[in-house]
Amino acid sequence: MRCDEVRKTLPLFLYGELSFDEEEQVEMHVDECAGCRDELDREKLLFRSLDQAAAVPGPDLLRECRAGLRQQLAQVQPQQESFWEKIRGGFTIHFHFAPGLAQLAGAAAMLALGFFGARMMPGSFPGAWGGASVIDPATSHVRYVEPTGAGKIQIVVDETRQRTLSGSVDDRDIQRLLLAAAKDPADAGLRVESVDLLKNRPESAEIRSALLYAVQHDPNAGVRLKALDGLKNFADDSDTRKALTQVLLTDDNPGVRTQVIDLLSPHASDAMVGALQELMLKEDNDYIRTRVQKVLHEMNASVDTY
Amino acid sequence: MAQAAVQMDESELIRSAQRGDQDAFEQLVRLHDQNVLRLAFNLLRSAEDARDIYQEAFLRVYKNLGSFRFDCSFHTWLYRIVTNLCLDALRKRKVRREESTVVETGEGTLDRMDMVEDSRAFGDPQRQLMSRQLNERIQDSLAALTPRERTVFEMRHYQGLRLKNIGEILGTSEEAAKNCLFRATQKMRTALGDFI
Repeated sequence: MRCDEVRKTLPLFLYGELSFDEEEQVEMHVDECAGCRDELDREKLLFRSLDQAAAVPGPDLLRECRAGLRQQLAQVQPQQESFWEKIRGGFTIHFHFAPGLAQLAGAAAMLALGFFGARMMPGSFPGAWGGASVIDPATSHVRYVEPTGAGKIQIVVDETRQRTLSGSVDDRDIQRLLLAAAKDPADAGLRVESVDLLKNRPESAEIRSALLYAVQHDPNAGVRLKALDGLKNFADDSDTRKALTQVLLTDDNPGVRTQVIDLLSPHASDAMVGALQELMLKEDNDYIRTRVQKVLHEMNASVDTY
Repeated sequence: MAQAAVQMDESELIRSAQRGDQDAFEQLVRLHDQNVLRLAFNLLRSAEDARDIYQEAFLRVYKNLGSFRFDCSFHTWLYRIVTNLCLDALRKRKVRREESTVVETGEGTLDRMDMVEDSRAFGDPQRQLMSRQLNERIQDSLAALTPRERTVFEMRHYQGLRLKNIGEILGTSEEAAKNCLFRATQKMRTALGDFI
């Protein structure tokens, strides 16, 4: 490293934002160069001066802010959890226990799914309520109000409440919710968990289709890897192979590409050879390049095309 | 382990707050609000503006917490809100041109220079003067940075955030944040060169 390069990087050096190698080079240079050592001392002095110039808001301002916020909060309603967040809330209970059991026993996973009952199935409460306390205004919505005579009224409320469903992953209702959750665009964690459960039932055409969709379109690599795992026994299926070949050439995640190679390689075909050769034209991951070369070699295919 | 425990506690607080637990929300605010206020105060140099940013930021958090999905850390999400508000304020109000070392606080107006401790200068009028001039120059050079450079510099130097995290907060790459910090420090060094 030259003196001008070292001096330029000194602030990043002091912030600890250089790579290990860059830091080594700066340290070695500074050890041997008196001029740059002086420059580093000046930089440290500058940092100390900047430290001293920081203004810290006083405790009174913080107290004022907190009090003001409390007043404002009293006037607004927070956004409630979405439908799928409620479902996820239910999943949380389940996933602490069930995936391990499911893997060990290969048995049906028991699910605990929360869902908004009344948002989907508007409920009415004719007559005897347990009193106003059973209704939580924050999570319910008055649909309409109707006088019923004798000074009484009837209020129809759409209640938002969480329910828990328990059942096997083979249950139709559970599957339907899992399939929907596996495509929830807003919640990658929920998709990972859902696909993780669904992948154990790839013999269902609907589930296999969902896994293929996830492999090809899910923006989260963790979801794609789970879905690939579920497809491992279908690598000889032509539709699956076609989709995986496309994934091999387009997926930006090296882990996904590696897993696709693992799935496809036991089922050699001309199309696959072509895809692997095409991959070699643009692949910049050394590990994957080595893997592809090995697979092509095992297939007695040319590795010189590229 | 301790950090994991803290993170778990925060996740629990967030989930409780998402379910409408006001106490959990208040605890969540208190975990972060001093740093939020410090960032806004340093960037905007006005107690009133910092208070506005503080309240608007946490109100937005409160209203939108239901849609927070843990795709990033809560800290990153919160700082994204705060820095966006600060950047907007810096751009709209052209704070850079209006800045002086005098700031408004809850106790009245206060010269930022009086808040700067300098033990070296204590008891030595000549050095006190030098120190004061240096600090004025620092404030001027900070004010001369672009809002983005200023924000990155504040978050790295005064809040101690890593460039990777700053990049996430500002919706840019670590490399872009690094370039921004580099430009900021170069400008500061040039402006303060004859003092240091």
